[in-house]
Amino acid sequence: MASKTYKTSETVDFVVVGSGASGGIMARQLSRAGHSVVVMEQGPRMAPEDFEHDELKYRNLSGITNSPETNPQTFRSDPGKKAERVAGRNPLTYARIVGGSSAHFNANFWRLHEIDFIEGSRWGGIEGASLVDWPITYAELEPYYTMVEWEVGVSGLAGASPFDPWRSKPYPMPPLPVKSSGVLFEKGARKLGLHPFPAPMAINSTFYKNRPACAQCGLCGGFGCEVMAKSSSVWTVIPEAEATGRCEIRSESYVFRIGMNAAGRATGVHYFDSQKVEHFQNARAVVVCANGSETPKLLLNSATSAQPEGLANSSGKVGRYLMFNKGGGVQARFEHPLNEYKGANVTRILHDWYDADPKRGFYGGGGFDARSGGPLTWGQAVPEGTPLWGQGFKDYLASYTYWMTCSGHGTSLAQETNRVDIDPELKDAWGVPAIRVTYKDHPDDVKHAKWLVQRGIEIMDAAGAVQIDPGEVGAATGGVHLLGTCRMGNDPKTSVIDKYHRTHDVKNLFLCDGSSMVTSGRGQPTQTIEALSFRAADYINRFAKANEI
Amino acid sequence: MEQPIPSRRQFLAAVGNLASAGWLALNWPQIAAAAEPAHAGHHMDMGGEAAALAKSLTPAEAAEVEAIANQIVPGGATPGAREAGVIVFIDNALGSFFAGQAPAFRKGVAEFSAGWAAHSGSSTPFSKASEADQVAWLRQVDQTAFFSAVRRLTILGLIALPKYGGNKDMLGWKLMNVEDNHVWTPPFGYYDVDYPGFQPYPGTKPYTA
Repeated sequence: MASKTYKTSETVDFVVVGSGASGGIMARQLSRAGHSVVVMEQGPRMAPEDFEHDELKYRNLSGITNSPETNPQTFRSDPGKKAERVAGRNPLTYARIVGGSSAHFNANFWRLHEIDFIEGSRWGGIEGASLVDWPITYAELEPYYTMVEWEVGVSGLAGASPFDPWRSKPYPMPPLPVKSSGVLFEKGARKLGLHPFPAPMAINSTFYKNRPACAQCGLCGGFGCEVMAKSSSVWTVIPEAEATGRCEIRSESYVFRIGMNAAGRATGVHYFDSQKVEHFQNARAVVVCANGSETPKLLLNSATSAQPEGLANSSGKVGRYLMFNKGGGVQARFEHPLNEYKGANVTRILHDWYDADPKRGFYGGGGFDARSGGPLTWGQAVPEGTPLWGQGFKDYLASYTYWMTCSGHGTSLAQETNRVDIDPELKDAWGVPAIRVTYKDHPDDVKHAKWLVQRGIEIMDAAGAVQIDPGEVGAATGGVHLLGTCRMGNDPKTSVIDKYHRTHDVKNLFLCDGSSMVTSGRGQPTQTIEALSFRAADYINRFAKANEI
Repeated sequence: MEQPIPSRRQFLAAVGNLASAGWLALNWPQIAAAAEPAHAGHHMDMGGEAAALAKSLTPAEAAEVEAIANQIVPGGATPGAREAGVIVFIDNALGSFFAGQAPAFRKGVAEFSAGWAAHSGSSTPFSKASEADQVAWLRQVDQTAFFSAVRRLTILGLIALPKYGGNKDMLGWKLMNVEDNHVWTPPFGYYDVDYPGFQPYPGTKPYTA
């Protein structure tokens, strides 16, 4: 069925900016409720057969991500210094296609735990950080986590981890088949008295919702899924939104400013089409789901005379509290081949260290997974002591199938000085003022990451590794989990959106993506972003019905 | 999750200005154009012959670079960089998606050759020197940005898809014991063959839909 199309002169009920993890769900839920919806996506729409197993293009040449050539950013760790472009890459990376980063994610779907929502109260003040409670609890979000698992499609084994938060339903699909890295990880962790369990993944393990089971091609993170087994918005909720006959996905449409009227209401969005021709789409309300970097950029670039510091920014918090997920891990070699290039990337995880523990002497919690990577990415780095060239290096390349990665994923503390704002000079290929990133790790984040590396060494040693290559914990210079930059809260002075994702300052402007998150969680934010989107859409639909938008 | 930190590991620490500014300054439209002839009509073709590959180096330059590449991943009992056609990849890369770096790279080749000539005291190019002499000289220059650049290009040329010019006959993948296939079924490796199934922990009750 051909997708519905709208004229820009038509005033649609909602413009949704972004078609990723959050935007796709928002579009489906709003259009299913009877609203007319236009989804604006910067990037192109790719068909299943357009995705290739091309590691050079996808992992090294910005094949489907924001390119530093056309979408440049600057970075600095010291707010007092001039930010500079980082050679050849962007600090903040996201997929720039229909489906957004849900198209190229690894598909690790971890729910937040109850503790994530109340760590401000639990820990009190941490010097240099803004660790506060969420305005919602796990109990309020739980039905929406379940909705994600059943509506979008997640495989896993409910109740397997003693550390899992409570849940109202099991996963709709059993876990994916274990691979050798999962077996070894489980063996080592169990030997240490830990509790590894089958990884919950947004990848079909069986035929589900008209999509096939995973083909186990081995290329998840960074790649699109050509068999549509990965539960990306482009294969799941977006076609369902279009099937309502009320939703248009407008690809290659780059929104650069939100339109405002004198009454302080959003009127639509200004955008460039694929030919860089400027248009304006009229809308009764705007929902920005553009990710934790592009959402604050759009608000800051939408300043008006009435809101000179950026739209919805009376708090001054737009763009602040940027968080990644700082982690640390190891690479380990075993006696026999694992063949990690085969099979979905992650099959076992553990959450024994999820909660922060004051006995460690610092704040920080995390989880571990056993994972794999493609040969091109793997071959570009060598362990300490391995020859960089010659027969010794060739021998190392020949050992590829004997290696696995044990990765720790953890917290990043919110800090007011870590932020996304607008570079005073740099513009992108459309002439739009570009993102400037200011970021410096909190000392506790670094301590925790180093602590994780030690735990990774122990697990791999217990698993019988013949060589362990500990990862270095360096200063963060960017990330792909883009969190916290338009935080949710009850107080308009300290937050950007309320608990229903409505901006405190503009009644018909809503935000929902990683930017809404108040704390970072432990490393896999996408399921939370999707649960927030289902919940936000629920409330937006209620507000619309009550004529309260 | 953070992005990999460029200086994280030994290889990356060795990459100098040329390599970091060069090989990471990317140009997607150019690579798309370079890739198009090879995969038009057969998107999943990973082993097909490359077509319409770009050229950027003179034969003399290419000979020197290929000789260096073949010391980085030498031949012998199994094929090395030369047999895998790494130089075809490098030539193509510098003529297309890494074209912006070609001038600096070619300057690097010239400096390398001049350094070799001064060292050897003869007009015999590096590529014609003995194996032992090549290795000895590379040990003296393997911390330079140019060498790091050749090294990175060699690895990419060895492992990237053949449509970019290298990894001829999938020799790079064969070296790494990677089979060219898109669909796998368990068991995947040695350790999951006899996995007995997930055993629940005391006090837990795993359940399924």
